[in-house]
Amino acid sequence: MSEPVTRVLTANWDDPSVFGIDGYMAKGGYEGLRRAIAMTPSQLIDLVKVSGLRGRGGAGFPTGVKWSFVPQDTGKPTYVVANFDESEPGTFNNREIVEREPHRFLEGMAIAAYAVGSHTAFVYCRGEFLWPGQVLDAAIREAYAKGVFGDSMLGGGYALEVVLHRGAGAYICGEETALLSSLEGFRGQPRLRPPFPAVEGLYESPTLINNVETLATIPAILTNGAEWFSKIGPAKSPGTKIFSVSGKVERPGNYEVPMGTSLRTLLEEHAGGMLGGRRLKAWTPGGSSTPMLTDEHLDVALDFESVAAAGSLLGTGAIIVMDETDCIVEATRRLVQFYAHESCGKCTPCREGTWWVSRVLSRIELGYGRPEDLPLLDDLGRNILFKAFCALADGAVSPIQSSLKFFRDEYVQHIEERGCPFTGRGPGVEGAAEPEGVGVGA
Amino acid sequence: MGVLSPELLEVAEAIKARYPTGRERSAVMPLLYLVQSVEGSLTREGLREVAELLGRTTAEVEAVATFYTMLRTRRTGIHVVAVCTNLSCALRGANAVFEAAHEAAGIAHGEETSEDGLITVHEEECLGACDAAPVVQLDFANHDRVDPERMHELVAAVLAGEIPAPSRGTAPNDFKHASRILAGVEESS
Amino acid sequence: MNAEPVTLTVDGKEITVPKGTLVIRAAEQLGIEIPRFCEHPFLSPIGACRQCYVEIEGQRKLFTSCTTEVAPGMAVKTQNTSEEAHHGQVANLEFLLLNHPLDCPICDRGGECPLQDQAFAFGPGESRYQEPKRTYRKPVVLSPLVNLDRERCVLCARCTRFCDEISGDRFLELFARGAGERVSIAAGEDFRSPFSGNTVQICPVGALTSATYRFVARPFDLSSADSVCGHCSAGCSVTLNARRGEIVRVLARDDVEVNDAWICDKGRYAFRHADLPARITTPLIRERGLEPASFGEVFDRIAEWSTGARVAFLAGGRLLDEDAYALSKLARVAFGTNDLDHRRTFHGGQAEAVAAAAPMTTTYRDVERAKVIVVAGLDAEQEVPILHLRIRKAARAGARVFVIGPRRTRLWDLAEHHLCLPEHQTYVLEEIHDGDAPEGSFEARVAAALREAGGEAVVLVGERLAEHPLAVDVAFSVAHRYGARFALVPRRAGDRGALRAGVHPSLLPGGRRVGTEAERAEVEAVWGAAPAEPGRSTRQILQACADRELDVLFLIGVDPLRDAPDAALAERALSNAGYVVVQSLELGALEAYADAFLPAAAWAEREGTATDWEGRAQHLVPVRPTAGVSRPDWEILAGIAGAMGRGLGFGTIGDVRAEAAGLLSPREVSPRVTAWTGTGKPQRLGDMTLVTYPLLVDEGRLSEGASELKAALGEEAFVEIHPEDAEKHGLVDGGRAVVRTAAGEAELPVRVTEHVAPGALFVPFNQPGLAANTLLSGGFSTAASISSAPEAAATEEGVRGAQAASANARAVAPREQEEVAS
Repeated sequence: MSEPVTRVLTANWDDPSVFGIDGYMAKGGYEGLRRAIAMTPSQLIDLVKVSGLRGRGGAGFPTGVKWSFVPQDTGKPTYVVANFDESEPGTFNNREIVEREPHRFLEGMAIAAYAVGSHTAFVYCRGEFLWPGQVLDAAIREAYAKGVFGDSMLGGGYALEVVLHRGAGAYICGEETALLSSLEGFRGQPRLRPPFPAVEGLYESPTLINNVETLATIPAILTNGAEWFSKIGPAKSPGTKIFSVSGKVERPGNYEVPMGTSLRTLLEEHAGGMLGGRRLKAWTPGGSSTPMLTDEHLDVALDFESVAAAGSLLGTGAIIVMDETDCIVEATRRLVQFYAHESCGKCTPCREGTWWVSRVLSRIELGYGRPEDLPLLDDLGRNILFKAFCALADGAVSPIQSSLKFFRDEYVQHIEERGCPFTGRGPGVEGAAEPEGVGVGA
Repeated sequence: MGVLSPELLEVAEAIKARYPTGRERSAVMPLLYLVQSVEGSLTREGLREVAELLGRTTAEVEAVATFYTMLRTRRTGIHVVAVCTNLSCALRGANAVFEAAHEAAGIAHGEETSEDGLITVHEEECLGACDAAPVVQLDFANHDRVDPERMHELVAAVLAGEIPAPSRGTAPNDFKHASRILAGVEESS
Repeated sequence: MNAEPVTLTVDGKEITVPKGTLVIRAAEQLGIEIPRFCEHPFLSPIGACRQCYVEIEGQRKLFTSCTTEVAPGMAVKTQNTSEEAHHGQVANLEFLLLNHPLDCPICDRGGECPLQDQAFAFGPGESRYQEPKRTYRKPVVLSPLVNLDRERCVLCARCTRFCDEISGDRFLELFARGAGERVSIAAGEDFRSPFSGNTVQICPVGALTSATYRFVARPFDLSSADSVCGHCSAGCSVTLNARRGEIVRVLARDDVEVNDAWICDKGRYAFRHADLPARITTPLIRERGLEPASFGEVFDRIAEWSTGARVAFLAGGRLLDEDAYALSKLARVAFGTNDLDHRRTFHGGQAEAVAAAAPMTTTYRDVERAKVIVVAGLDAEQEVPILHLRIRKAARAGARVFVIGPRRTRLWDLAEHHLCLPEHQTYVLEEIHDGDAPEGSFEARVAAALREAGGEAVVLVGERLAEHPLAVDVAFSVAHRYGARFALVPRRAGDRGALRAGVHPSLLPGGRRVGTEAERAEVEAVWGAAPAEPGRSTRQILQACADRELDVLFLIGVDPLRDAPDAALAERALSNAGYVVVQSLELGALEAYADAFLPAAAWAEREGTATDWEGRAQHLVPVRPTAGVSRPDWEILAGIAGAMGRGLGFGTIGDVRAEAAGLLSPREVSPRVTAWTGTGKPQRLGDMTLVTYPLLVDEGRLSEGASELKAALGEEAFVEIHPEDAEKHGLVDGGRAVVRTAAGEAELPVRVTEHVAPGALFVPFNQPGLAANTLLSGGFSTAASISSAPEAAATEEGVRGAQAASANARAVAPREQEEVAS
């Protein structure tokens, strides 16, 4: 594709002046909010529905519809919570949005608050984002000082308080109900649904939770129009998406492209191609929780429907790229170790299942695998998938099942050769005892 | 009360006031950061104090504290070096960087903190900066594209009492300072 | 059914249940058992263990039946008819058993373990797990009563949910996450809860175990009996387990009408008193010392002493209904006297008569469903613990709870407390009754709440309120005025039964007044005789003994030296009484005074009926035969009557029940709403008011031998004082003070706390270190003064120890100062 890409989110990324509120406003920032508060909330929600925007946090739920689920006149306060817990391995678009143009996100959140009748918005910022949290803290202060937040947003009479709340290192807190649990001061374990957060979320009150990228997309929809947005990319997945590309590419980074762009395009036209010109072996379309794909899928359109049809999920659009020098077994082992470490522990299949699988994978990687381990892993994947309390466990199963599907021979090789052909370690390879200094397990 | 000074007790009340009336339990995380910023980790007394501030049992507070990676109830160094070894960083050589960190800090495998209590080194999960893999955080300040040699340099600097400039933002003085920032107590300019 | 009915099928069988029913419950009603660990009918659903999977037609994924509500036309397939559900359960059990240790041979739960049973019924025969298991140091001592084995724990969170939802003692929590998630307490904050043992019973594995039962028995060793707990008036259903005749365990029995699935730790862990060396199982008569004798011999002597003599009876709270009835008849028929009493407070007024005549006017269910609950003169957690849990249950469902008393109870997180001196409680209640208290005041709030609640309110008053003239009547009038239910809640297990039976100087069975001819006649018709002069109360009996106006004093299951709120009077009474006959399980300090001893059977050794505070009669059966030659109390009393030549006509306990049934059927009592003129401005008793009541775990008779219980929950005597008063008197937390009353003085460690009313000094009634009745002169509160103890008493270690004890006791103190009456 050689036509210029419409930039919804990253248009100003090369301009450091938009970092501060003055520069942001000079470039038309908060005009979207101005327009929003001149509409009625229901007009605003309809607008977002017409745009066809779908949540960028992984679930892909139509944003306008989600906003419309928040009941009015309940007698309880309504809350908006921005999910800035970005912890899905391979994902880093939220971070750069905040680091480069924090106000675009804050503006989107303010618009969302107005749409659902919320006067208090929380930003749940993952703890490890020390600097981005500081950026937001300063930006929020600026917004108060400029009359964007406070008793009367932009003088329109609608009050909005914004509170920054930091996490403390738990991937599960990116799950909506676990986030709410954490924000309420409890352990970050997911909660039963129903009741759904829209109706009884934060503090048992109606709550809207949206991803940072989703919210950051909103101002442009207000200023440029819903129709405009709906025409970008495929009809069912309109708009652009920031894909976070990392791993074995020349230029890892965030790239905003229309939905439906392929990996081939991303690699060739944005990320500088494979690192060192090597061959693509495996990649995730949407972060570690999405099943791996291979070089057979280079031309799959990266939108919700097409990726699902290819047997994976769009997820957060975090593309981790592996080449022929990378050991899939080790990659899978490391990812399952991640899930075991991050499992909240509440439910049996996730807590015990990830523990078990990570130990089996460690053995295989170290050269102590047995033939029966493979059908065992198949079975464990089936026993965990859709059996747990939340989708974290399903995320753990993605690398297990997809790696076994596409790279089973590599597993077999580890087992038969009693070692890892890529690291050259293992009793079968070295003929020595278990190598020291390799950390396994959580 | 022991851990928080009178000034910090006022700060604690301000932290509680960020949340709606009756929902002060939400303040448990920033209050834990606050106490951690004084003692460098979460001690018995620190946990108890947060519990008293919120009218809860120590067990309820400790349950929350032990759930999260960044709230440290174990012995912690003055500085914390976190090396991401998740997939994107591992693909770019993070495991060797983690090795180097242990070596440079003189910490044996299986241990986390140096004998002199200066540095804690641990693996981290994805830090959301994979464009700059391998990523290392020193007291939660990001250092991009760190290779084993650079890792040695970073640790050497810290051991010499100099805090290297991070790739973005400003570096906290140490882990306590970082905790203070995370408690939302420092105004960012 | 209140909610609309929903019809669905489970494994093809149709059932109709109320809307909101969980699928797992609906299945149970069809006799279909779905395996589960985290689910418990009295705890909120959590969906954690994933064991209870079912297939629902038309749905892609499996559903946890414990979190899924029934829907019309739902077709549920359990493991019985769904291969997928079955496989899901098998796989889940394989996961659960991964890290579970092969401890069965040494695990106390073996043989009665839901994990064993369900693994056997629903799980795989073998595990494929070959990796190292996660291990922990074990056991972890959570308290002297409860041990934790983390390896066995399946993280069902039943224990933590119990602590959070039911008892409110949030000392058990889940720490960390993932496979490292573990049940824990905070170091230095023991699992110090009077309900801790319930977590052991609901634990579906052997993770939480009782220290009292460690390595003691296997289920097939045990003989069991359904009984009723005798420690207080809550009337909890229990199961007694005995091994070779020795009681080794007490478990809660489910009873939704009474105790749900819970008992308190005293009921659970104080079961040894009938097996201690101090137990006497043969009759004794005093010759030179106390010598063994036969019942016949002792009865004859008693008859000798009593013929033509002045005789009185004091009863404790240990009698079963049949015993109390026999005593009531014995006094009147065999001795022609109304000098009998079981009470320690005497101004129960109207409420007492109603409670005696018409049981079950207020029940646990009424408390649970109430919108407003007013509690006065009652610390339910300490005195009737399961009632405390019911109040908590109501509060969690939205009820407003108001507590009036001198000391903040541990309903602090759910109720509004009004701390006031005991002598001022009447005044507060009057203001509530009149409904014209200043706006914004506590009294105005309570009145408004009661008004709003319509009849859905309950007023609960403790027997201590009956210490003050009019207090109970005023409270009764408050309830009457606002259409609320009322209950006068006694403390001891036998109290309500004794009242109903007429162990009372002016009440006959069924609350019939001695002084009302028509009512007395009804009793005479059955008994043949009933003296017309009302008799003496407990205090008057003791006074009469002290003044040598009584010749024979019968002590039926009571030790006035410890129980009476006037130790000096009790001592004089026992010294000066002509003859003292003790009928009990042991003698204790009464040995010096007893002229005869009649060995009574323990509740565990006999059948009978116990009536709880509601007035609910519950049957109990023995778990072992009577020890030695001890006999049920009613039988002994019948023997005495026989020796007096005026038999009671009871051959079997059935005879007693049959006769009592006639006189004890509920009667209409028109409550005379007492008119009173205002009690005027509240007066103070003195410089300070000493307030006392028994704590749950104390030196009481029935708790003897419960060493683990006392190690966990027992405390040395102390005095609580408000910070303002402490400052005034120069006292510090952890220091020592001397408390003086007209009756005596005592030196005690000081606890400075906001949880006690200004002007009040709370001293527990019967802790190691002080029998507080040595400071009392007839009531449970009295004028007192306090001053710092002389030097050399407080060491730094002692102060710190005392401070730590007081801090632990007050763990989870509320931050805000409640409104306090001046």
